[in-house]
Amino acid sequence: MHNMVTKSRDVTLLEVLDRVLDKGVIISGDVVISVADVDLIYLGLKVLLSSVETMEQLKGSPFAGPMQEAK
Amino acid sequence: MKLYLYGIIDSSDQVKDSIYGLEGASVYNIPFCDIGAVVSEINQPIQGVTEGAVLEHEDIIEKLMENFTVLPVRFQTIIDGRDNLLSMMQSYYKDFRDNLERLHNKLEFGIKVIWPADKIKEHIINTYKKNDKKVSVPSNSSNKRFMRKKFEKYKINEEFQKKANKYISVMDLFFSKFAVEKKLKKLKTEDLLLDAVYLVEKGKQDNFRDAFEHIKSAHKGFKFLFSGPWPAYNFVILPKNNDLLKDSNQEDLFDKVIQHRDLVGADKI
Repeated sequence: MHNMVTKSRDVTLLEVLDRVLDKGVIISGDVVISVADVDLIYLGLKVLLSSVETMEQLKGSPFAGPMQEAK
Repeated sequence: MKLYLYGIIDSSDQVKDSIYGLEGASVYNIPFCDIGAVVSEINQPIQGVTEGAVLEHEDIIEKLMENFTVLPVRFQTIIDGRDNLLSMMQSYYKDFRDNLERLHNKLEFGIKVIWPADKIKEHIINTYKKNDKKVSVPSNSSNKRFMRKKFEKYKINEEFQKKANKYISVMDLFFSKFAVEKKLKKLKTEDLLLDAVYLVEKGKQDNFRDAFEHIKSAHKGFKFLFSGPWPAYNFVILPKNNDLLKDSNQEDLFDKVIQHRDLVGADKI
């Protein structure tokens, strides 16, 4: 059960990450203080997000919050 | 003073509810004309991407959504001081305003569809082989065999793509009925048939969910992932090269912002 909950959290987090790290208003320019390593971490996440294996792990897991899955 | 920026809202009013952001700091609105930038003060740079910080960022934007139209800002956007923030607002004002108007009363929903790619491919191959036997011509040379294999692979892939298009067009037909904008990505991987986001009017979100349920029940053997409502992350449109702040005329721009700020009373929080 614990494992299933973890998977559910992972999915929610992946959906959030997919949005907050790459989408929305992206401001460029000198006024924005860049934070080291974010881009590198993001690249890693993008690979992860595209991974079908990650999605396949969701089999049978209950989805919390706004997420739901159907077989 | 560094400001962590969460979102741009369609109001110059203060955030009514007490919202606490990263580092437990109060979240407040810095007005600019008739819109505002929602921020909290931050002392130290955030160390990388942590689950807690990401979820907190999203949580604050969702709280703002309850009362305002929000343009969500990318995680870890930290502005170096209030004057720079106002300068940025001046640069982007028209774009922000246009986006806020377009996205007013609308929500984003995400849909991912995983199809049984292996089975579908297997079916295509079997059908191809069955039909191919009828017109089978013995090929003796290795060149011919090579060409034949290449051609088979091409035909199978072509059929695979056709099937994907067919499924996606049926699904999209239902979803689009209740959406005002959409972004679809076909076959990001062989298994991920569809990765889509739809922009839906608040009043039509139940219809949209119903359409999803209908499609879901009509596609046994497929896996569906439905998420939302989200702030409209995927539908914010900003010109790619809107980088006025790197312009050599930054000083002039700053003067204009100061003038503008005085005019609208933007510094009265």
